[in-house]
Amino acid sequence: MDLASQLPSLLGLAWLLPLASFVLILFFGPRMGSHGRNAAWVATAAIVTSLVLSLVAFVAWLGAHPVSAVDHGGHGDHGAAHATEHASGHAGEHGGKGHGDAGGHHAAAGPVAYAGDWYTLYEGGRLKLSIGWYIDSITILMFVVVTFIATCIHVYASGYMHDELHDVTDHDVTLADGHHLHRPGRFSRFFQALSLFCFSMLGIVIAGNLAMVFVFWELVGICSWFLIGFYYERKSASTAANKAFIVNRVGDFGMLIGLMALWGAVGTLHFADVTTTAADGGAVRTPGLFSLFRPAAADHALRIPDGMVKFEAADAVARVAADHAASPADAASEIASRTPDWRSMGYGNWLLFIAGVGIFCGCVGKSAQFPLFVWLPDAMEGPTPVSALVHSATMVAAGVYLVGRFYPVLSPDVLLVIAYVGAITLFIAATIALVANDIKRVLAYSTVSQLGYMMLALGVGGWVAGLFHLVTHAFFKSLLFLCSGSVIHACHTNDMRKMGGLAKVMPATAFTMLVGCLAIIGAGIPFVIGLSGYYSKDSILAQALSFSQANPRHAILFYAVAGGAFLTAFYMFRLWFMTFAGKPRDHHVAEHAHESPQVMVMPLLVLAVLAVVAGWTLPGGLGIANLIEQSRPAGTAATATGGFAFGSLTIPAEHLSHGEPFHSIATLTAFGTALGGVLLAAAMYLWGVISPSVVATLFGPVYGFLAHRWYFDELYHAIFVLPVKGLAAVASGIDQGLIDPLINGLAWSARQVAGLDAWIDRTLVDGLVNATANATWSAGLELKKLQTGSLRQYVVFIAAGTVAVFVLTSILFKTSLPV
Amino acid sequence: MNTLAGGLFAMFEPLVASGLALPLAGVNWHTFFFLVFAAVACGFAVAVVAADNVVRMALYLVLSLGATAGLFFLAGAEFVGAMQLMIYVGGTLVLLVFGVMLTAQAPFVSIKSTAGDRVLAGMVGAALLAVLLQAALSVPAWRKPGAGRVAEPAATPIGMALVGVRVDAPEAGAPAINRRPGYLLPFEIVSVHLLVVLVGAAYLARAKRRKTPRAIEVAASVEPAASVAEHAEIGRDRSRGSSVLAGGRS
Amino acid sequence: MNPAFAVSVPLLGLISEPVSVAHYLVVGAILFVAGVACMAVKRNALGVLMGIELVLNGANVNFVAFASPYLQAEGGRSIGLDGQVFALFVILLAAAEAAVALAITLNFYNNHATVDIDRADDLKG
Repeated sequence: MDLASQLPSLLGLAWLLPLASFVLILFFGPRMGSHGRNAAWVATAAIVTSLVLSLVAFVAWLGAHPVSAVDHGGHGDHGAAHATEHASGHAGEHGGKGHGDAGGHHAAAGPVAYAGDWYTLYEGGRLKLSIGWYIDSITILMFVVVTFIATCIHVYASGYMHDELHDVTDHDVTLADGHHLHRPGRFSRFFQALSLFCFSMLGIVIAGNLAMVFVFWELVGICSWFLIGFYYERKSASTAANKAFIVNRVGDFGMLIGLMALWGAVGTLHFADVTTTAADGGAVRTPGLFSLFRPAAADHALRIPDGMVKFEAADAVARVAADHAASPADAASEIASRTPDWRSMGYGNWLLFIAGVGIFCGCVGKSAQFPLFVWLPDAMEGPTPVSALVHSATMVAAGVYLVGRFYPVLSPDVLLVIAYVGAITLFIAATIALVANDIKRVLAYSTVSQLGYMMLALGVGGWVAGLFHLVTHAFFKSLLFLCSGSVIHACHTNDMRKMGGLAKVMPATAFTMLVGCLAIIGAGIPFVIGLSGYYSKDSILAQALSFSQANPRHAILFYAVAGGAFLTAFYMFRLWFMTFAGKPRDHHVAEHAHESPQVMVMPLLVLAVLAVVAGWTLPGGLGIANLIEQSRPAGTAATATGGFAFGSLTIPAEHLSHGEPFHSIATLTAFGTALGGVLLAAAMYLWGVISPSVVATLFGPVYGFLAHRWYFDELYHAIFVLPVKGLAAVASGIDQGLIDPLINGLAWSARQVAGLDAWIDRTLVDGLVNATANATWSAGLELKKLQTGSLRQYVVFIAAGTVAVFVLTSILFKTSLPV
Repeated sequence: MNTLAGGLFAMFEPLVASGLALPLAGVNWHTFFFLVFAAVACGFAVAVVAADNVVRMALYLVLSLGATAGLFFLAGAEFVGAMQLMIYVGGTLVLLVFGVMLTAQAPFVSIKSTAGDRVLAGMVGAALLAVLLQAALSVPAWRKPGAGRVAEPAATPIGMALVGVRVDAPEAGAPAINRRPGYLLPFEIVSVHLLVVLVGAAYLARAKRRKTPRAIEVAASVEPAASVAEHAEIGRDRSRGSSVLAGGRS
Repeated sequence: MNPAFAVSVPLLGLISEPVSVAHYLVVGAILFVAGVACMAVKRNALGVLMGIELVLNGANVNFVAFASPYLQAEGGRSIGLDGQVFALFVILLAAAEAAVALAITLNFYNNHATVDIDRADDLKG
């Protein structure tokens, strides 16, 4: 059984198991044990099995495609063509010709990947909607990461959500009569939603075409909505869920535009080539996006496909067709020969830009980049396991993952846009996190900031760096969230101002959180060893430096990264010091604080271990960075130049950043900024040298601005919500003032007419009928008087009648008897 | 017919010879007797209407119908006249007289109707009379004086006609049709009719056993009024009704 | 001058003319109208019956007048035997009718103790 069929089966099964768990819990959840206690077991079992299957797939992959250390060319020889270092093999349905051997100096033809379709939903014209896979090393890596973190979260949640095993009194909800809400527990509902989420996330990861990505994109959004609004009776929670979904939808709108541009121009949404059997038995190979945009003929450099050129040059194409109206064949050949000219004239660039930016819009929404990041802090209304899984490690990472997957199609202009968006996001979020007092809010803004890091990394050409940071961030961010959950569970409050000195009471939590904080700031011994964040942050910094050197105009990107590192260190250790160090600030909280149960602490320890080792590369080359490098898209290893919208850009090759001088400068910068941040935080919150309140007063306006989160919510409220509300008020006004009165008026006039009708009916018609009846009756009564019963009178009448007949006859019929 | 006239003439001949009855020489005795009988008939008929006393009414009627029989004789329908006297006067009117006798209790001898009724009846009667007279006198053929043809005695032809055979000679000028209708069927029908009347009268006149006394018996138990004047008073008083019950003093 | 003469001269013209059918019809009309008036005026049931007899007799006079050849003018034609038979039948039916009417009247008298037909207004509407 070869890998091409083994991997889809393994990963497909791993993908569908959470769906089975969802369906089971959906139908039988409340009956699984008392209050659905066993639903946790079902969900956890499913996700653990998925993890096992993913690991099996991982091992199988490694067996077929061992990871070599060749990629990290900074430590080895570099000279020859960069692109030749990759194992060759190309996508093909049911037939991955993975040669997978290290050091093969073959011409780069693309990374090792397996693609195929399980089921075609609809095929008509150019549109082919199918459920399929695209499996490369990143896919398997993401599978392992997602299922692993999900497993930890499931275990953690089975302890954290124990409140839902009995009836709950929600103190955050006040009913109309003044009492707090009393409701039954929803334990199984939680795991039902978690299972569905895992299914959706894995669906995005395994997707083989953009349409499938979009479907599961939305599905993940729905699951996020479910989970954020888990405590839906709380107005804040339901509002936050709606906000998350709506803001995501705004981004998805852009994504749809990108999808349409792509499909309209090139007619396919599949990543890899699709081989189908034609009617005559021969194999028909339809190129996928990667082959179209980076054809082998152009040495896998980004080249706008013919379809896109012709789409944008529609006027010229029409003119040629009109010129050769007589013979369409001549027209077609003329168009084909002139397409390269059009391409060099620049046709197609804008469409490529729109396609790229459109897809990126979806990522902006999903990964909470500027300007669509406002939903993520509010998403902390959900239970902490949700924050840990969905809003730190996985769902928000989907955007970064898609950018990474879609990287071959992104032009340098698009990458620049991505980089800047990332930089802006990074900065804004970091500054807000400086002054936030809710422990989960700090972590939320930290997440936003780190996602900005990843986007920036991808934008400046650090494809491996961005994805590497994605993986390490998943580990330490989920760790940080789980620790915060542990703290909240102990203190029953999110407010850091009420915490302090918890390290003595909760040593395990404090220690693991410290590990997480060190990981996020990229702590380590420079040039020797470090935690996971050290390696990923360093590679980002190095690539940013390389980029700013290649494009001096955009040097600010490097300074943004560096500044961001400083701010990150500051606010993360501000968080740690405020929570665990010093003296307790609230005695009530301090009295009740306790360490979490074992079931909650175990995942913390596991994740802490991973947060430490995730960045290490084993001897022999096995490491996350190398694993990612294995799937580098064809043509992206070389330095790329281009850019038509923002001037010429140079995207330096990533392996250059591993060399000097970038590597050293980056390492030192990272270390320096991190250390500076930690010291400042210690000065303010540990040693009390600088008083935070004094600083706040000193920078009053700035503090207020940051404390109000840059007034983004107010801004959006004014720009979007108020106009819509105004419009709704106008519509309501029209409805109530115009349409309702109109309808009521119509009804009123109908009633009036009915009243008139009734009057006519009663008075005239009935009157007429009654009058007729009365007249008949009166006539009868009068005539009755003729019936006197007196015989004599009858005789008189007879005689009189006879006389009358005679008279009448003699008058009317004047005849004479013939005599 | 003329024999009668001749007989009468013979009786009055000496008067004629005496010259006192000279004017009687041109008298058409048929017309004379016609006028006598007609005057009697009409006069007594009017008297029937005018009379109040029912017994007197009966008498006047008898006389009127007797005169009518005379008219029949003068018209040459001697059999009909004879039948009139025998059946009508001698049977029907006798029956009426019986009825009068049976019901002629003192209060009922004369019941007068109101003057208004009588005026109204008079007016209607006058109108009817006018119409009839106008009709009678309107046909010139009827006003021409009679020629005085004497027909054969009618008894036998009538009898034969009733049996169904017409033996009377057709008159001059009659269309020559062979079959003239007989009256056998009407004869039989009338016979059955009379039988039915006989049976019906017998039934109606039967003695009935009654639980409650008949009004007439109740009335008989009531002491009648003292005098005729009182009865008359009761009769005139319409408001009290003309019932025997009202007439009593009890 | 003989008074009879004075009176009879005008009357001479009256009684010297032969009688015609019209004379009989006039008599018949008078009898008929008298009968109708009797029926209309009399409150006694028997009086009404008498009126009926007069009516029938008036009709009979008419029948006989039309049936008499004696009264017909020159060239005229009577209805002959038919008229007499008709009159005969009328007499018969008058007899039957008088019998029944008397029976009714006597029944009425027995039940209501009166022959005043004004009392017989049960059919008053």
